[in-house]
Amino acid sequence: MNTVNATPAGDSLASRLAGGASRMRGLIPLLVLIVLVAGSSAFAPGMLSFSGLCNFLIDAAPLLILVIGSTLPILAGSIDLSVAGMAALVGVLIVYLHPLFGAWTTPLVLCGAFLFGGLQGYVHAKLQLPSFITTLATLSIFTGLGLLLSNATALPIPDDDSLVGWIAGTTAQVPNSIIVVLGVAAILAALLRYTRLGRDLYALGAGERTAIMSGIDTLRVRCLVFALSALCAGIGGVLLSSITGFSSPGIAGNLLLLSIVGVVLGGTAISGGVGGLGAALVGGAITAWLRVITVMIGVAPTTQNIVFGVMALIAVLLTTDRAKIGIVK
Amino acid sequence: MSAILELKNINKRFGRVVALDNLNLQLKAGEVLGLVGQNGSGKSTLMKMLAGLQAPDSGEILLRGEPVRLRSAAMATSLGIGMVHQEQSLIPNLSVAENIFIDKPNRATRGGLYRWQALYAAARAQLDKIGVKLRPDALIEELSFAERQQVELAKVLAIEELVDHPPIILFDEPTSVLNPDEIKILFREIQRLRSRASIVFISHRLDEILSISDRVIVLTNGVKVADEQVATLDRDELYRLMVGHERSVKPRKTSTATALAPAAPRLKIRNLSDGNRFANLNLDVARGEIVGLVGVQGSGAEELCRTLFGAQDAVSGEIVLDDAPARALSPREAVSNGVAYLPSNRRLEGMLAGRSLIQNMVVTYGLEYGRSRLLVDYRAEAAAAQQWMSRLKVKASSGKERIERLSGGNQQKVVLGKWLMSKQLKLLLLDHPSRGLDPGARDDLFEAIREQARTGMSILFVADTSEEALELADRLMVLKDGEITASYDLRHGVAPSQEDIVRAMV
Repeated sequence: MNTVNATPAGDSLASRLAGGASRMRGLIPLLVLIVLVAGSSAFAPGMLSFSGLCNFLIDAAPLLILVIGSTLPILAGSIDLSVAGMAALVGVLIVYLHPLFGAWTTPLVLCGAFLFGGLQGYVHAKLQLPSFITTLATLSIFTGLGLLLSNATALPIPDDDSLVGWIAGTTAQVPNSIIVVLGVAAILAALLRYTRLGRDLYALGAGERTAIMSGIDTLRVRCLVFALSALCAGIGGVLLSSITGFSSPGIAGNLLLLSIVGVVLGGTAISGGVGGLGAALVGGAITAWLRVITVMIGVAPTTQNIVFGVMALIAVLLTTDRAKIGIVK
Repeated sequence: MSAILELKNINKRFGRVVALDNLNLQLKAGEVLGLVGQNGSGKSTLMKMLAGLQAPDSGEILLRGEPVRLRSAAMATSLGIGMVHQEQSLIPNLSVAENIFIDKPNRATRGGLYRWQALYAAARAQLDKIGVKLRPDALIEELSFAERQQVELAKVLAIEELVDHPPIILFDEPTSVLNPDEIKILFREIQRLRSRASIVFISHRLDEILSISDRVIVLTNGVKVADEQVATLDRDELYRLMVGHERSVKPRKTSTATALAPAAPRLKIRNLSDGNRFANLNLDVARGEIVGLVGVQGSGAEELCRTLFGAQDAVSGEIVLDDAPARALSPREAVSNGVAYLPSNRRLEGMLAGRSLIQNMVVTYGLEYGRSRLLVDYRAEAAAAQQWMSRLKVKASSGKERIERLSGGNQQKVVLGKWLMSKQLKLLLLDHPSRGLDPGARDDLFEAIREQARTGMSILFVADTSEEALELADRLMVLKDGEITASYDLRHGVAPSQEDIVRAMV
């Protein structure tokens, strides 16, 4: 026994209007970013100079790369909360493992981060543990490990570390950290656009049961996105270390919230399937810019978090495309 | 006796599909009204309308002579109309007692606070009424399927204490999931209710209808084709009424009979059991052959398809595809064996909502059109998808349209197209492929299926109706309780009558 349930035809005009509106909404995060930048340049014109922008981007680079990484599991309908902990731990490990591996320490640590992220995805997908709680637990483990191994003190990055040293430099006047961020974003965007991974990832985010029933290897997708997310977090940790020249277990303290806010601000849906790396870059830049603005407009350090939180709420309100996302959780 | 409920000139359409066509119906006090009809005849739509879940497009519903608009299930409940759903409507993480009283006021809440002991006592009284020993504080999710059905029944029967006039109780195929003893209890309960309630009862099992009802209404394509007292009917007469209208099966459009002596069947199923719905099934499907399965809900036909696709496990038996073992542990394995599955639940398992038609089409096999099967070639795969969509006559403004904006039939064609994109498909499993499709869309879909068969693909489908099975299949199997009870080869021009098929089904 079944009932007929076809959707009524003849709403093409309405749907076209809705389609146009939805395309417009997709551009709102970019508009918000432009308005923010333009508005703040009225207060501080120096910010829009080449060196001003470079300084902003160097400062924003760790956050941008974390937002890029966090976007991948969220597109698949999961979430990786451990990125900030991973970033901090990687900074500590670069110093801690240096006596063993010398100049090769950083690449090896990043490989380790990639593998561990994959393991995390495997645990979440194979054992059917919610990603929220799995990565919350590993966040605690990573942060704790960072504190344990470093004795909770900031340590100087060894001088002969090739990668950290290179990142702190410039190529043709462009800071290498910016090149790293754009390079990673470009590689990941190509992966999403031209390989099986991207297709499976979006299908998984749009409907997990349909994805399974379409023959998609959801376990492999989950492992890969968590591995990539952890790798990005690791790179974020390297970028942070290159800015300060020190590792510090607490360095990524408030990056967790910022990275998730950045993902949402760009227009990527927390429920999965909607969004992408362009959105991640825009969202990350808005978040970083908001953080700069709170300092610029002279908010006392003690109230910065409050002002930032309110601004983030308003920005999310403006940028979220509810029509596309459906039920908002 | 006067009519307690009266429907006047009720019409309901879904898109181009007419679900109910100018329906007139009367339900008298203390009457048990049997409602029969083939799938898609409008029975469930009628029930949902009475339960407040759907509104008629036009027409009038009179309750005790007063016109009413049933706007919600809660409103129907408050007016004394309750429905035992075909699919269960209980909330799994609440207790039995909470579920029984969730849609009705009860004395166990005071100032918005539950008085748990009073609630449990009230629930126990309701459970005792139908002779069920269940703990009122047990969570629904801890109960077996049959126990949940009993709670569902208790929940609806509690309505009789809600109103001071006789309630109307709707049963939408309640027996298809019950065992004989449970059915006996249900019937005893209906007999008990008969004196102070009016009942509408849907079942595919005609013996049940004849034994429990006073009067029977037969629906065909939303039209009432018969309204008879049971006393004047016998089983064969009811069969004829149910399947006899517009039942001249269309002449088979193509004779696939020419094809392919089934020397070595492509798909061989031997002694296959899933440990639940079917056991020791044996079935062969040859190259280019279309095999139809018919059976009432729970007959095991759907489960067989899901097992072949790896969506549920087999506990024993053999599946062989082109001489290679093909017992799949997951849909992914089945797909790599060359098996495709069109699910009956299109929304949940077939389509990717929010994605475009082309994105839906290429999700499984897009990379077969890519560069070295590693890199996506958007132009090539979109061209292939567009070609398939035009072959399947998908009506859409462009391939970039989002799939949920299409009608059900067009959605179904896209989901089928996803599988047809494959260059190496061997076996196509179709689970109620025409579910929710209007006649035109259905004909297009069937033609596409026949075309696939002509290219040598083996096709196994679960039919919505026996009529549909006779139209499409080369061979027809009737399943009942997980066993093949009848098997017909339709290629030699001799077709079984609808009556024969229905008899083997129930």
